Amino acid sequence: MESYLHYVLAPQMLNGLALGISVILVALGLTIIFGLLDVINMSHGEFYAIGAFGALALSLSGMNYWVLIALVPLLMIPLGIITERYLIRRVYDGADRHVTTLLVTFGLGLILEDILKILFGPNTHRPANPLPGATDLFGIVIPTYRLFLIAIGAVVILAVTFVVYRTRLGAIVRAASFDRNMAASLGVRVGWVYSGAFAFGVTLAGLAGVLLAPVYSVFPTMGRDFILLAFTVVIVGGLGSIWGAVIAGIFLTQVQAISSLVISPVWADPIVFGVMVLVLMFRPQGLFGRMGHA
Amino acid sequence: MLSIKDLHSHYGLSHVIQGISLEVAAGEILGVFGRNGVGKTTLLKNIAGWVKPSSGSIELNGQAIGGIEPDAINRAGLAIVPEDRRIFPGLTVQENLELGLLGLKGAKPASKLNPVLERFPRLAERAKQSATTLSGGEQQMLSLARIMVAEPRVVLIDEPSEGLAPMIVAEIFAIVREMRDAGCAVVLVEQNIHEALAVCDRFVLIERGAVVFAGAAEDDAARAALLEKLAV
Repeated sequence: MESYLHYVLAPQMLNGLALGISVILVALGLTIIFGLLDVINMSHGEFYAIGAFGALALSLSGMNYWVLIALVPLLMIPLGIITERYLIRRVYDGADRHVTTLLVTFGLGLILEDILKILFGPNTHRPANPLPGATDLFGIVIPTYRLFLIAIGAVVILAVTFVVYRTRLGAIVRAASFDRNMAASLGVRVGWVYSGAFAFGVTLAGLAGVLLAPVYSVFPTMGRDFILLAFTVVIVGGLGSIWGAVIAGIFLTQVQAISSLVISPVWADPIVFGVMVLVLMFRPQGLFGRMGHA
Repeated sequence: MLSIKDLHSHYGLSHVIQGISLEVAAGEILGVFGRNGVGKTTLLKNIAGWVKPSSGSIELNGQAIGGIEPDAINRAGLAIVPEDRRIFPGLTVQENLELGLLGLKGAKPASKLNPVLERFPRLAERAKQSATTLSGGEQQMLSLARIMVAEPRVVLIDEPSEGLAPMIVAEIFAIVREMRDAGCAVVLVEQNIHEALAVCDRFVLIERGAVVFAGAAEDDAARAALLEKLAV
């Protein structure tokens, strides 16, 4: 029993946690963008892929991976600002804005995916693992890079929640999220807040791409695969809820990891999506409240 | 201070504001009265930038503010206390008040909150509480205190007494008077006509999106005519 815990269950749960942290980074971006702009960003997965490809391209030019972790997210900021200013904002105030923003971001995702195919080809790439080998953590052996992934992801998630819930900037973001007009009438430059939030969400997706590039393969449609899980996390946690994304991300990836031990892994995804269906049936708004709301 | 000329505004095909013109001077309270649905709140939303006017002009101290973004209108010196208070429930009382600092030009020191917290001791006591834990009257106080932080030159107030106990209403109208005495131009939309007439300097009556009657609050004949028109 003890050996099962040490050599099977615990490593599987830690691997699930590494995936969960990565999914949360992507889901946080999605949920912040939805919570503030009321926009479901269908191109979010492609921004994640751009982060991974950005890391791949720059690492091929000889750049150190540790520099890339900081550099690639920074490069995502102007991309996010441009997307919000010149695409989202153009359709934001229209009568059917939920549909139009969904279609615009869906179209953008297709374009970005094709651009990645043109630039890098359809094949799969695998950047070198900057932290090869395994670490013995209280008798549990886990790949060192995944341990790093958990640590840096947790730091980023805590930093995001701290900024949103404990700083004046966060109060401005939550206020704009709850009531755009009232916040603007108090002097909040809502346009800047929206651009900043979209860019921040995209930056988190890019960071997740860089962090996961050495673990998962890098290919042009990688965003499409990963975003499904991120959307599930956001829906279960509650659209626009930061804590919801964090808790649902950990819960669902643990369900996926543990269920893979007892039944065929092909059933892991149906189980996760089944949880989402159950949540939608009994609590359509998700487990937690939207950012800025009581 | 605030000058509106031939303002028109639509919601889709509905012509809600049909050529309203009015002026409010510094240190003056203008009461805006009328039955439900005549366009009073829409008028305030047009002035605050929440709804874009179809035509006409809105000027604040000679600066055109019609149709510009609400944050730019706020920086020009105009603040709004809307009908349903619109406090931010996910924020504490202190955070709600600190948002008011954004309307200040230049440095925004937290010490600017002190005079407001002294004026509203109940809010000071509850500064760290979530704004949702406040009573209706306290929420209205917060809504007023939040805009007072930035010392606006023009204040739009929509139905401040709605649903509140008479004692709280008296306190709220006392605050409105203080704003006027501090040199503020106040546009007050209110259904509680008798209470409002006691604080207003002038009033206008709106019917179907247009000003149909105006007068001075001290003019007994004008007051009587207003009350008769409203059948109060």
